[in-house]
Amino acid sequence: MTSATRSAARPVKPRPSLLVPLGIVVFLLLTAASLSKQLGIGLDAAGLIDDLGRGRPILEQLASPNWSYLPETIGPMIETFQMAVIASIIGCGVALPVSFMASRVTTSGRVGLFVTRWVLNVVRAIPDVLYAMIFVAAVGIGPLPGIMALILFNIGVVAKLLSETVDGVDPGPIEAGRASGANSFQTVRWGVLPQVLPHYVAYSLYTFELNIRASTVLGIVGAGGIGRTLFAQYKLFHWSNVSVAIVELFVLVVAIEAISIWLRRRLV
Amino acid sequence: MIRFENASVTYRGGVHALRNLTLEIPDGEMLVIVGLSGAGKSTLIRAINGLVPITDGDVTVDGQSVRHATPRQLRQLRSKIGMIFQTFNLVNRTSVLNNVLMGRLHTTGTLRSLAGMYKAQDIEIAMQALERVDIVEKAYVRASNLSGGQQQRVGIARALAQQPKIILADEPVASLDPPTSHVVMRDLQRINRELGITTIVNLHFLDLAKVYAQRIVGLRAGELVFDGDAGHADENVFRDIYGRSLTADDVLEAKAASIA
Repeated sequence: MTSATRSAARPVKPRPSLLVPLGIVVFLLLTAASLSKQLGIGLDAAGLIDDLGRGRPILEQLASPNWSYLPETIGPMIETFQMAVIASIIGCGVALPVSFMASRVTTSGRVGLFVTRWVLNVVRAIPDVLYAMIFVAAVGIGPLPGIMALILFNIGVVAKLLSETVDGVDPGPIEAGRASGANSFQTVRWGVLPQVLPHYVAYSLYTFELNIRASTVLGIVGAGGIGRTLFAQYKLFHWSNVSVAIVELFVLVVAIEAISIWLRRRLV
Repeated sequence: MIRFENASVTYRGGVHALRNLTLEIPDGEMLVIVGLSGAGKSTLIRAINGLVPITDGDVTVDGQSVRHATPRQLRQLRSKIGMIFQTFNLVNRTSVLNNVLMGRLHTTGTLRSLAGMYKAQDIEIAMQALERVDIVEKAYVRASNLSGGQQQRVGIARALAQQPKIILADEPVASLDPPTSHVVMRDLQRINRELGITTIVNLHFLDLAKVYAQRIVGLRAGELVFDGDAGHADENVFRDIYGRSLTADDVLEAKAASIA
C-alpha cells in the first residue's frame, strides 16, 4: 500500500466519545463508596462466612421436607393458581387495547399517547406488594385484594412490553389498511395484531408465571394464596414445612415454563 | 375521472414533492408515471387517495374533493381505490386469504371485523380475486411462505377484493426479477382491460412503461414534463424526463441481461 493512493475525501477518524471512560470512573467510585466503612453498608467477608455457618441447621431442615404437611398446602396452592389465572386473564385482556393506545404506530393524537404512557409508568412504578397492602386495607384479607394487585401488575408489565413491540411492527400493512378505506380499529385488528400476537401470548404466559411467584410475597401482607401458609410456618420456624411449599412452587413454575415454551414454539 | 387542479404537495421541512400539477385521468385508462426517484411519483399516487395531504390546489375523484373530504368521506373514497405497493405490504404472519379479506373491511362492520366474522359473500369475493391472479390454491398458506412475485399477486388480489374503480400501483415490480415483473404487469394490464378499472402505475423502467402503458406522464422534480401516448414517448422524451442520458439501469431488459 502506498500513501499516494489516499484520496483527499477520506475523512479523519472521529474523536472517541468521553462517555465510556467517564462511565467506568463513575462505576468504580460508586463501588468504592459502597464498600467503604463510613459511607457503605459495611460488607465484611469474614462475617459473611461466620453467618453462613450459623444458618446450617435451617438449611438442614429445608433440605428434608416434611411431606406429611403436604395435604395442608394443597388448598392454598390451588388458591394461588386460581388467583394467577383470574388476574392474568383480566390483566392481559385489559393490557391488549391499552398497549395499542400506548404506541406511536397505532395512535394519531399526541395527547392520548402521552397520557396513556404516563399512567402506565405510574402503574408500573408501584410494586405489587404495595398494591396488595392498599387493597387488603380497602377490601379486607383474602384472595380478592391479591387478585386486584396482580391485575394492576399485569396491565403494567404486558402493556409496557407489548406497546414497545407494536412500536416495532412493519408499518406496511397499516398503510395498506388505511388505503383500503378500513377504519383504525379494523386496521389495527388485521394489520397489526397478527404481527404481535405471538409476542402477546409469550408476555401473557410470562406474567402468569410471575403471578405464581408473586403469591409468596402477597400472602405475607394477607392477600391470600400459598404465601400465607408459607409465612405462618416461617414464623413458627417450621423450616421443613416451609420447604414443602417451596418445592411445590418450584414444580409449578417449572411446569408452567415448560408448557409456555411448547406453546410459544407452536405459535411463532 | 381523476382531476388534479393546480395541486401541490409540500412536505414538512419544505420539500416540494409536487408543484402546481394539472392533470386529467379519464375512467378506464392505463396510465404509467415515469421519473427518477424523488421526482414525485409516489407523492402523485398518494395524493389521489389522500395518504399524502395536498397543501395547495386540489385533487378530485369523481367530483369528490380529496383535500376537503371529511374522514368518513375519505374512507369512502379510499374504498373505491385499490392500492398496490413496492414492498407488497402484506401481513406475513397470517394467511393469504386473511390478507385479501382486508380489501373487504370497508363494507364490514367494526364489531364483525374485530371478531373476524366475514360474510360468506365477502369470502367469495376474496376467493374470486385470488382466482383472477391465479393464486387461489395458496389461500390458506401463510403469506410469508410465498415468493416475491406470488406476494405481489396477493397484493393485487387484495386491491381487487375492494371491487375498486381505480387501482394505484406504486413501483409494483421494483422488488421483483425481470420475468416476474412481466407477469405482474400483464396481470395489471388484464385487469385494466377486462374490468375497465382505471390503473395508474409508477414505473422506473422505460421499456416496461412503453409496453404496458396507454398514456405516459413524466415527472421531474415534482413538475409535469411529459404527457402523451405511450407510442410517442421515444428515447429523446425519456432523456428529457430524466434530465440526463439513459443508462442500462433504466431498462429492464438490460438489467435482465446483466443478471444473466
